[in-house]
Amino acid sequence: MAGEAGFEHRWRHVRLLFLAFLGLWLLFTLFPLYFMAITALKTTAETNLTVPTFWPEVFAFGNFAAVFAEATNFDALVDSFVIASLNTVLSLVLGTLAGYAFARFPRQAGGENLAFWILSNRMFPPVAILVPMFFLFDSTPWGTDSIWSLVILYLVFNLPLATWLMMVFFRDAPPELEEAAYLDGWTPFRAFFRITLPLVLPGMISVAMLCWIFAWNEYLFANLFVGTDVRTYTIVIPTFTHGSQTLWNLQMAFSLIAMIPPVTLFILLRRYMVRGLSLGVVKG
Amino acid sequence: MSNVILSKVNKIYGAGRTGVHAVRDLDLTVNDGEFMALLGPSGCGKTSTLRMIVGLEAITSGDIHFGGVRVNDLEPRERNVAMAFETYALYPNFTVEENLAFPLEVRGVPADERRRRARELAELLRITEILTARPPVLSGGQQQRVSLGRALIREPAVFILDEVMSHLDAHLKFQMLFDLKRLHQELRRTMIYVTHDQVEALALADRVAVMSNAALQQVGDRNALYNRPTNMFVADFIGEPPTTFIAVERCDRAGAIELRAIGADIVFDVAAERASALDAHGGRRFTVGIRPQNLYPCDHDPRMAGKVVINEYLGERSILSIVTGDVTLRALVPPETRLAPGDHAGFSLDPRDVMIFDTESGVLVA
Repeated sequence: MAGEAGFEHRWRHVRLLFLAFLGLWLLFTLFPLYFMAITALKTTAETNLTVPTFWPEVFAFGNFAAVFAEATNFDALVDSFVIASLNTVLSLVLGTLAGYAFARFPRQAGGENLAFWILSNRMFPPVAILVPMFFLFDSTPWGTDSIWSLVILYLVFNLPLATWLMMVFFRDAPPELEEAAYLDGWTPFRAFFRITLPLVLPGMISVAMLCWIFAWNEYLFANLFVGTDVRTYTIVIPTFTHGSQTLWNLQMAFSLIAMIPPVTLFILLRRYMVRGLSLGVVKG
Repeated sequence: MSNVILSKVNKIYGAGRTGVHAVRDLDLTVNDGEFMALLGPSGCGKTSTLRMIVGLEAITSGDIHFGGVRVNDLEPRERNVAMAFETYALYPNFTVEENLAFPLEVRGVPADERRRRARELAELLRITEILTARPPVLSGGQQQRVSLGRALIREPAVFILDEVMSHLDAHLKFQMLFDLKRLHQELRRTMIYVTHDQVEALALADRVAVMSNAALQQVGDRNALYNRPTNMFVADFIGEPPTTFIAVERCDRAGAIELRAIGADIVFDVAAERASALDAHGGRRFTVGIRPQNLYPCDHDPRMAGKVVINEYLGERSILSIVTGDVTLRALVPPETRLAPGDHAGFSLDPRDVMIFDTESGVLVA
């Protein structure tokens, strides 16, 4: 009995340690969000105080309207949304087909080495290809300053991820189900859409989330490629920094608005996210 | 409904020196309406054979005909075969009813007709109460029935069952054996049942095809496999407990032939009609096989005798292991046999029950 009590005792310590760690982690992650939110509600004068305030003296809700004084700022959110969505659709379609090929026909599709090579495209530092990519897209008919240049460019990063993850999900989907469907009279194409695709749907949704968020948040390439005909919201945020001062409140207000689409998506799809991310992990 | 004829079928995985010859020159005919079991240990090529029949695996060489039609180049969906999988392979996103009706959907059967036939079949298989459930919540036995139902709902030319009972517990298995036999008797479809379990194969099938090492060993009904096995593999594989094999030497005495065990004091008489088979075969050394069922306890003038080492009590019978010289014999005896380890036991046998094999090739001689 004494041993059991000691065991209980030790467990309580572990729990306390865990909670302390969790608290610390929450502090680090939530504090910036908190400071962002309150800054967005401060007046410009209050943001410039030497000793920062931790609660706005006056709530300046007008900041959220003021960021759209420049009409193109809203267009930038639309452009970002269009680019991220188009890129996600392309990544999903191509990544799903490629992932299926790697999972079901590894030999014909080029084998494990090719699959790894595709994944390794995700591993180099993006800045390494910044200049070559600029010249590459500059020589296309539509130039760099276009929605299509970023939609296609982001495939470089999203397609390897989508292909690899979809391959893992398809490997987990039992091939007998497709075989059973063939014997039941279905063509491979219809069996794929009716049987296998619904099985990996949670995985597809989490892949879509990852691709969409990458494309939505991308700054480095967008900053160099676009800016006149097309503007993404990520290159609008720095414009609140002027020569003499930074309009922190507007910058934070705009950033908060830019957080709404991904957060909404995540809340709507979180059920699939959790299932999708655990698809490749849990083995029967 | 049709028969299935495999002629000189080969399957080689890979190519060149790394290639694996999984099925070798297989000739097999399954008659129309027959229940054929394909029996063999794992890795013997039975699953490759079955996958070639249904069209999930390409045939390296040879031909497969269904009812006179060569199906080698037909897609699985064009062969009109139905299969129940070892893993059941039920579509997890569909309800049981949708699973059952799935093969009809692609054939353009109207929805209400699909529903009617699914319900009809559910009644036959006694799964009406789970029609709206999804497969992940079903028990193994229920999933098994649904997968059988999905295969039965259309009228396939050939119906194939792949190790369908290997994941069921003993009690359920007994029930399924009964149900399957009943289904076959009602439907009279051509069925091929693949298994590694001889009890299932012998209980269900009209004929059993025994495979080993990528090749067909013997095709026959229960009696043929049991009493006239073509070789030592079949004699060993069929029957529980397995056959005892004893190395013997031929001794001719005054016109009669005797086979004397090497390393033990056992003598087998050879009847005249079998002696000619031994003469035709030639050679002096053979291997004798005796089924444990064919040894009878006998106290007076036994043919063989030895010391009991183990008495395994199995309820309705006991297995005795007896050592005599270098030979360990097994005998199936009534459970009331009260022989303890160390006791002396004698046995008689009918000379006709002795199987004589060529030691080198394992082929039955007489």
